[in-house]
Amino acid sequence: MIKVEGLYHSYSNDENYAVKNVSFEIPKGEIFGFLGPSGAGKSTTQGILTGLLKLQKGNASVAGYDIRHIKNEMFNRIGVSFEQSNVYSKLTAKENLAFYSKLFDVPARDPLELIKLVGLDGKENVKAGEYSKGMKHRLTFARSMINDPELWFLDEPTTGLDPAIAETIKNIIKKQNEKGVTVFLTTHNMYIADELCNRVAFIVDGEIKLIDSPRNLKLKYGEKMVAVEYVSDGSPVKETYSTVLSEDKERLKHIIDSREILTMHTKEATLEEIFIKVTGKELV
Amino acid sequence: MKFLSSVKKELILATRSFYFYIELLFAVILLIVLLFVIPEHISVQQDQYVYLDMPEPAAEYVMQAMLLEDTDGKTESVTITSGIREYSAKLITKEDAKVYLFDNRQDVIDLADTKRNVGAVVSITDDGQLYYEYYLQGYETQRLKSLLSILHNADSDLLEQRFDEQEVRVLGIKEEALNDKVNAIPPMLAFNCCLMGMFVMASYIFLDKKEGVINAYAVTASSVSQYLLSKITVVLFTSTASCLITVVPLLGLGIDYALMLLLLLSSAFFSTVLGLLISSFYKDISQAFGMIFFVFVLMIVPGISYMMPSWDPLWVRFIPSYPIIQGFKEVIISNGDKAYVWIASAGFIAVGLILFFITRIRFKKTLSI
Repeated sequence: MIKVEGLYHSYSNDENYAVKNVSFEIPKGEIFGFLGPSGAGKSTTQGILTGLLKLQKGNASVAGYDIRHIKNEMFNRIGVSFEQSNVYSKLTAKENLAFYSKLFDVPARDPLELIKLVGLDGKENVKAGEYSKGMKHRLTFARSMINDPELWFLDEPTTGLDPAIAETIKNIIKKQNEKGVTVFLTTHNMYIADELCNRVAFIVDGEIKLIDSPRNLKLKYGEKMVAVEYVSDGSPVKETYSTVLSEDKERLKHIIDSREILTMHTKEATLEEIFIKVTGKELV
Repeated sequence: MKFLSSVKKELILATRSFYFYIELLFAVILLIVLLFVIPEHISVQQDQYVYLDMPEPAAEYVMQAMLLEDTDGKTESVTITSGIREYSAKLITKEDAKVYLFDNRQDVIDLADTKRNVGAVVSITDDGQLYYEYYLQGYETQRLKSLLSILHNADSDLLEQRFDEQEVRVLGIKEEALNDKVNAIPPMLAFNCCLMGMFVMASYIFLDKKEGVINAYAVTASSVSQYLLSKITVVLFTSTASCLITVVPLLGLGIDYALMLLLLLSSAFFSTVLGLLISSFYKDISQAFGMIFFVFVLMIVPGISYMMPSWDPLWVRFIPSYPIIQGFKEVIISNGDKAYVWIASAGFIAVGLILFFITRIRFKKTLSI
């Protein structure tokens, strides 16, 4: 659905690249997470792929269209949700979506249905300028679905939302993906990436450091440990054992056989910990 | 369909924006000014302060001579206040001046100083000639000073002869003289209906930039051209409305409205595209203000030339507002030069289209995340 080869971009048109030699491929139906801290080049890459920024160097195709020569018809097949809410503040939510629904050559989704989907029902006739930041963000998110896209670009879709609403948004993304929608998810939130993405790319300083599935990354970079809490002489004791070292395995077996176990779980590394381990950078 | 939706949306946004109402309100204000403030014939009556420093019989003789030009043939006793002082005078009202006669020199000097008008003391020399002393303000032109110098010294017959010898060539024998009220309409239409579009358009674009909606539009299956054209359409609509608000009550049905609309729409198209082009170079209106102000001042220059026909240098004719103003004048004059209006309109459309093409490229280029 997306194929990128050797992508470079410089805002100052010199060797000072915001994106350097970025290459990846996203098959149809995948949720691909593009992860990195602020200023890493995530939004620049999305900007190039959605035609908002000119392709300077490299090759890229989106939904079968060469983005060096973007045609308007490409946008019938893609949806874009922006990190910064960008809706007409003087139009109501319903007017906003109704207007955008007329800008595509494909059947559009019902604006009221989308408004309800993102939990803004009852506020459809309120001007977007009177919305809170989170509500505007949800309206921007809803708008990106108006043309029922096959390929969906989402830039920080849950940023600034309260946990309940963020959960709703995650569920919508999951459902759309189940219907076959390919998702290009740009975020610095590792939890949402871990939960949603089939594969993730770590991007730092404009360069992709690695691409893999969250599971593989955890298997590869996570320490294989088990944390166990048991009762010893009437008091709870917490200990951590390796699942690889034989003496730790023996000791763990002994505890399980002879002690009362209170809690026991594998201690996996989070994506955030792996990111820091691989890139040496924090996700800020 | 996409274009019509965009136009509909722009109309809704315009009606919810104060720029729309400011433009219409300004048209109403202009109408009121033209209807009730600007007269059909503006007469500039200058105040003159005079002291006749001569014996009573001679002063009476001169005053009687002046009264021949008085509108009702008699003097009027008046009091002029300046600061805390009051000055008594006799007023002679001519068509082009109000002459106040005082009974002492100092009153004339004081009032010439405080009221900023011309003062004159007329006396009689030993050889029986009239002697004129003028109290000027200092900013009068050398031409006026020279004229005053010779006016009472040269032989009046000789002056008249010289005046008669001046060659006068009538350049526009078909030219219909517009009254002052109607004459004020062309520059007002040019600025309020045509050039205002540049500001309004820039305001709309900067509002869209601030809200980031241009990016959202750019990822739809609609083109940048449609986005720009829908905005132009709405601005042309408001320009037409504000023009008709001013023109219809003033000129009725006595002008060629088709020709007027042609000039209005073509020049407003040029102006709005210019506004689009300028706004494509800046992030917000505060950054663009310098350029917009410069263009506006430049556009005012032909307006000054229009009001002062004696100042009409060639370079002023190349400023776009010049053909707009002159074009509207030709439309209003019953036997006006229609070809001029057609040529000016065609020029605005052609230049507007070229600018639109450049603007389209600029907007495609400057879309950023």
